[in-house]
Amino acid sequence: MQPVQRKIIHSFILLLGLAWIWVSADRSGASTAGQIPAPQQGFLAPDFELKTPTGETVQLSDLRGQAVLVNLWATWCPPCRAEMPAIEKVYNEYKDEGFVVLAVNMTYQDTPANIAPFTDEYGLTFPILLDETGGTARAYQLNSLPSSYFIDRNGIIREVVIGGPMAEALLRTRVEAILK
Amino acid sequence: MIDLFRTLFAPPRHLILLVLALWLGLTLAEKRTDRHGISKDALNNLVYYSILGYIIGGRVLFALSNIPAFTKSPLSLFSVNVDLFDPLGALVAAGMVGGIYGYRQKLPLWGTLDALTPFFATLAVGLHLAHLAAGTAFGSPTSLPWGIDLWNAARHPSQIYELTASLVILGLLWFPKPKPQPGMLFLTFAALTAGARLFLEAFRGDSTLVFGGLRLAQVAAWVVLAAALIASESLRKRRQDG
Repeated sequence: MQPVQRKIIHSFILLLGLAWIWVSADRSGASTAGQIPAPQQGFLAPDFELKTPTGETVQLSDLRGQAVLVNLWATWCPPCRAEMPAIEKVYNEYKDEGFVVLAVNMTYQDTPANIAPFTDEYGLTFPILLDETGGTARAYQLNSLPSSYFIDRNGIIREVVIGGPMAEALLRTRVEAILK
Repeated sequence: MIDLFRTLFAPPRHLILLVLALWLGLTLAEKRTDRHGISKDALNNLVYYSILGYIIGGRVLFALSNIPAFTKSPLSLFSVNVDLFDPLGALVAAGMVGGIYGYRQKLPLWGTLDALTPFFATLAVGLHLAHLAAGTAFGSPTSLPWGIDLWNAARHPSQIYELTASLVILGLLWFPKPKPQPGMLFLTFAALTAGARLFLEAFRGDSTLVFGGLRLAQVAAWVVLAAALIASESLRKRRQDG
């Protein structure tokens, strides 16, 4: 192929690329954020209503306006145990700024009698919620424990951390991001 | 089938796919080092040092951009959390470490990039497989019959589009002319990959938007495509002149 022919083809490819960028622009704004509830970054956090061990009811959507960490855990899960002190510490640092932790115990696959000794052992002061039916685990398409969802003040998931234990620095950076 | 795959390699297991791609890519690259005037040892060392630079650089740069968080808990610097990481900074660090190693060992730039091309192409396949497993890099909603159910909507299987493109690119590059001009293999890979991204980004549902809706990845891919085409033309001209 002659150099001139090649240059014409290259120019045509680049012009076609520019046209495609223009045609495929998403002028409606973000194509996902906030429209559909799904357990993924950029989506509205799936809502749930669960009871605490003392019988109080907590609904996630009632916490709109606050930054929320939803942490799915079980007493038999070693990384869940390992990250609880860091969560408690960071919760105490940021709770006055509007940070809430909802620690959702996978009660349907845990031993309920172990929950109270667990929270006492780690001195947890944030709400513990009981997923007795597995409904929240299904809504969050749970595959691994622990799973953590950092939700901003508008109810949008800004970060998903699957597995653990989460380091304190990770918690701080993510919490500060959702508090903005 | 996709559901089974996603269950098998659900995060954090999707990282296994990247490690496998890394190993396979290096194995493929090793097979062709002789063609590009670089030894297997030099290629292996280059990749290992770059990976080390990627891991350490990604963590250090993340820490530097979040100093207050690490000041309160310095041990977090050594945490096994893969999320304490700056992926872009890690790439820059890996490139710098690889560049310094290559310079010190006097490796030929274009020959080395050509030798690394099968590695990059295989890594791209692994990356798209990992995206498919994790449900990241997902497509925009669609009513087309081949849409996949993901994140509570029928969506373009953007990960499969990109996986297919990367497999085709790997195939095209694995059967090149016996001895292409130094640099052409890598530039062809860069141009094809950028072209594929430029086209397929339009079907993504997670694009970062700039300037009233333009997709940032498309703009970046266009720049890479233009650079690859200009560089390939320059290499051809230099060959004709020399």
